[in-house]
Amino acid sequence: MNNLAFSGASGIIIMFFYGFLMLFIGFITYWRNKGLHQSNKEFYLGGGNLSVFVLFFTFFATQYSGNTIVGYAPTAYRMGFFWMQSITFFILIVMGYLLFAPRLYVLSKKFQFITPSDYIQKRFQSKGVTLLASILMLYGLCNFMLEQIIAIGHGVSGLTGGTIPYQAAVVFFVSVMVIYGWLGGMRSVAYTDTMQGIALLVGVVILLIGSMIYFGGLPSAVDYAATVSPEKLGVPDSKGLVSWFSMLILVTIGAAIYPHAIQRIFAAKSEKSLKKSLSWMAWMPFVTSGFVFLVGIIGIQAFPGLSKGESEQLVGMMANHLAMQNSFFYWAMVILFGGIVAAIISTADSVLLTLSSIISKDIYSTHINKNADEQKQILVGKIVGVAFVVILLLIAWYPPATLYRIFILKFELLIQIAPAFILGLYWRRLHRHAVLIGMLAGTILASVMVFAGLQPLGIASGLWGLAVNFALCIVMSFVINVPKQEVELLGKEVS
Amino acid sequence: MQQKKEPIKNLKIWIVLIILFILSVPWYLPTRSYEPLILGVPYWAWIILGVSLAISIVLTYILKNCLHMADEDESWEEEENQ
Repeated sequence: MNNLAFSGASGIIIMFFYGFLMLFIGFITYWRNKGLHQSNKEFYLGGGNLSVFVLFFTFFATQYSGNTIVGYAPTAYRMGFFWMQSITFFILIVMGYLLFAPRLYVLSKKFQFITPSDYIQKRFQSKGVTLLASILMLYGLCNFMLEQIIAIGHGVSGLTGGTIPYQAAVVFFVSVMVIYGWLGGMRSVAYTDTMQGIALLVGVVILLIGSMIYFGGLPSAVDYAATVSPEKLGVPDSKGLVSWFSMLILVTIGAAIYPHAIQRIFAAKSEKSLKKSLSWMAWMPFVTSGFVFLVGIIGIQAFPGLSKGESEQLVGMMANHLAMQNSFFYWAMVILFGGIVAAIISTADSVLLTLSSIISKDIYSTHINKNADEQKQILVGKIVGVAFVVILLLIAWYPPATLYRIFILKFELLIQIAPAFILGLYWRRLHRHAVLIGMLAGTILASVMVFAGLQPLGIASGLWGLAVNFALCIVMSFVINVPKQEVELLGKEVS
Repeated sequence: MQQKKEPIKNLKIWIVLIILFILSVPWYLPTRSYEPLILGVPYWAWIILGVSLAISIVLTYILKNCLHMADEDESWEEEENQ
């Protein structure tokens, strides 16, 4: 691996260039919006004023991370056409939004919600439910952040053929992210998301074109796969089909209900912006996860016989090979390189901001210091957020083997807040005790199943937890006798 | 003022979406079959891609025509794309 295009000085120069570009955007945002550290709404939601273009890219950056490239191409490489599900599940996330976003948007403007827990508190008027939901979200977000941190290291060290070590990449980019997030809050996150999203899209398109030119097109790759591993081309067996369905449901509900995705609903300038950006989102899977899927399939022929661990470096190997062809592809891969790193950071920054907002509003100002002004709440959120990042950095110092396994873990828990939204927004009878017990039971069941490695019938453990959670919510709400007054109060507030 | 429309209350939307959802996984095709169709891509992958396209079309339609909840002044939104 001596002749890599991005090894040596060029890799380091590119990395610094992207880092400083992001910092520059952070500083400009800070400069132009000096008052944003005074108010939760300004800092965490960009004043609730994101217009359609910026809103779309920040949704995009939230759903598509660097893992969508660095992790999904190897998955397609290993699983073959089975991984076409990555196109469908990203589309279905928009369907997931339809289950709750329209009504939640209206409520968020009426009651000035900042965090998802603000809605839960307003709807259920129960400290227990709100606290449990906040803790679940914090835990899920930390896992999410951990995954992104590991992806930064893998991405950069893979693309530079190890010139930039895993740890150096992680420390540099996490510092950049913390600084611009600290300076400009949601506004700098959303503006960098826009820059990052564009770099990612351009990079993916050119990577696919380059792979088709230099590694032989799709037909020859499929031909090759048919001789060496025909199982990657055939219709999956019943076990595969069940896991396919289970993945679709898990992502449809899980990714739409991400706390940082919910906050973007609150940050929309108008219903029209929200509708437009969501409808654009319904088309993005074809050019992102779809293209990445094709790159992975082409990789089967380009780099045959890679082990699971080696295949994780697939995108880096392909990009390096392309960059050595001519100067056009060299610069195109520079953009891709930046796009991948940017995509990881743009997901991580949204997660960090939401993490801080939950600490500021749902933990600190609700349970620790009720008299703190908003400026102090924001400061505490930022400091604790950074402390979390440092802890996660230590955990991520030695990277785990593959990305896919930890990706599935965060959904298992985050998805347990879904009944509070999907049922709670529409069903007046849904009782706080039922939600609390359902959420708790679902979480415990899902966690136990994950640790024991149980997936009965091939259905993801998070879905078993969610099913029990929903069932308990419904049955218990019928059993618990709610005073009529209370039902009416809840009804008035949610509809 | 436009009448309020909420997708969750529209049963037809969900019937269409659920049918497409069920069709988006190739359970109805023979296991392990993979005859290449166009560009060497197996026939069933084209079917799944087609269903996925249909879901995107339906979702775009719903967002455009079946959702109107907030009574907002939308006259200033023309200048949004900045």
